[in-house]
Amino acid sequence: MIQAEELSKRYGRRPAVRGLSFAVAAGQICALLGPNGAGKTSTMRMLTGLSRPDAGAVRIAERPVSLGAPVLRRVGVLIDGPAFVPHLSGAANLRLLWRAAGREWPPPGLDDALDLAGLGAALGRRVRGYSMGMKQRLMLAQALMRQPDVLVLDEPATGLDPAEVRALRRHLAARAAAGATVLISSHQLAEVQLLASHLVVLNRGSLVAAGTLDDLLGGAGSLEDAYLALIEGSDRAAR
Amino acid sequence: MLRVELTTQLLRLRTLIALLALAAVPVLSGLSFASSAGHRNGTQGGLYGASPYSALNHDMASLEFIGPLLLPIVVALLATAIASADRDWGVLRYLYVAPVTRARLLAAKLAAAAVVTVAALGCVLAAGLGIGTIIFGWHPFHVIGAPDLGIGATIGKVLAATGYTLLCLLAMAAIALTLGLLLPRGAEALAVAVAFVVVASILNGQAVLHAVAVTLPVHYWQNWVGLFDPAGASGLGLGAAVQAGWIAGCVAACWVILRRRDPAA
Repeated sequence: MIQAEELSKRYGRRPAVRGLSFAVAAGQICALLGPNGAGKTSTMRMLTGLSRPDAGAVRIAERPVSLGAPVLRRVGVLIDGPAFVPHLSGAANLRLLWRAAGREWPPPGLDDALDLAGLGAALGRRVRGYSMGMKQRLMLAQALMRQPDVLVLDEPATGLDPAEVRALRRHLAARAAAGATVLISSHQLAEVQLLASHLVVLNRGSLVAAGTLDDLLGGAGSLEDAYLALIEGSDRAAR
Repeated sequence: MLRVELTTQLLRLRTLIALLALAAVPVLSGLSFASSAGHRNGTQGGLYGASPYSALNHDMASLEFIGPLLLPIVVALLATAIASADRDWGVLRYLYVAPVTRARLLAAKLAAAAVVTVAALGCVLAAGLGIGTIIFGWHPFHVIGAPDLGIGATIGKVLAATGYTLLCLLAMAAIALTLGLLLPRGAEALAVAVAFVVVASILNGQAVLHAVAVTLPVHYWQNWVGLFDPAGASGLGLGAAVQAGWIAGCVAACWVILRRRDPAA
């Protein structure tokens, strides 16, 4: 469903992503891992057409991805944190982002998405007064309400409490079980270990490892141990 | 997308305040001239002098008063917001993944800028006509130093003045929209747009810089006033052509900026 082929991106003289290739198939939940500055968000921007790769290509559902590409109708996105029109209500923001693509309200997965967001009466209040967690839940509702075939979620659990994180995990697992492709980035390795079926590990913009969770865990007791070993090995190799 | 742009901008408190400020000018000036209703306004000439004679006289005088500075500044405020607010709020990336194409985004912004420009001009004209009707009443359009205008001539000249002013304001909106897309923040774009109006107005007053002034849209903004002068109007065609040229140039620049800019950069 998601294919990244030899992606490279530079910002000025600084390389953000170097020759990155990986694929995520339907039904998989893939976690994009790496230290800060590893190129996770840059990769996600290229996957959603928000950033043009200097080299390489992105395909989703066999269709090329570019800014505003039609295939993005099938993708739910949370990237670079939540963002809303502050003087409009939560509900008005959801309507606005849905209708922007010329679609009739309501979206097919609205009720489930709002259940997960759990905002209740706050949906009618201006987003300006929302807490960080409320904004994050509203943005997740925005991504999920389309019942997308593909989800690209950058740090989806940021600002969520433990119960909300568990509800999100169950929702994403159900979406994947129904055939959706899920790509998340996260620093919360314990949570990733509970959720992900596959991993892509980046460091300094390059691919360090990719495969199933079980394969990458190997003999390590936890994802944290396996991840830190991979990153340290990559750093040593770079030196 | 047009609905998105209009929803986000027209429901903003600052937009409503700006439009109210525009409407307040004809109202306050009408109240200040109330004691002169039916008579010449002191020793003033032109549209200002004839303002208390009728509602339409007051309307056109209000437009002449507000046209060179306040009205373009409000249009610049609204147009820069349309261009840059979604980027300032971070919503732009979610519009692109909605997905919305660059062409659709630009078309919506251009249409929204045109709608708010019409709204801004409409506020001035509606307020001027409303307060003028209440205070001065409906009478033939008075021209100082010439016979009153007939109904047909009045309608024709008022429509021509309104249309010409709208074209001038659309040029201002196009400039502000371009700046809003070009500069990193809406506030910066607004500051530059206001500076453009002020500096262009100053340049326009310098006889030695005439060659520069004639290339600026500001130079032609008040040409319509001649429609209500016994001597007649001049330079309306050239003025309209210059405004159209600026609009076309700005629309092309907007497209180039949107095409070249990486939204995540």
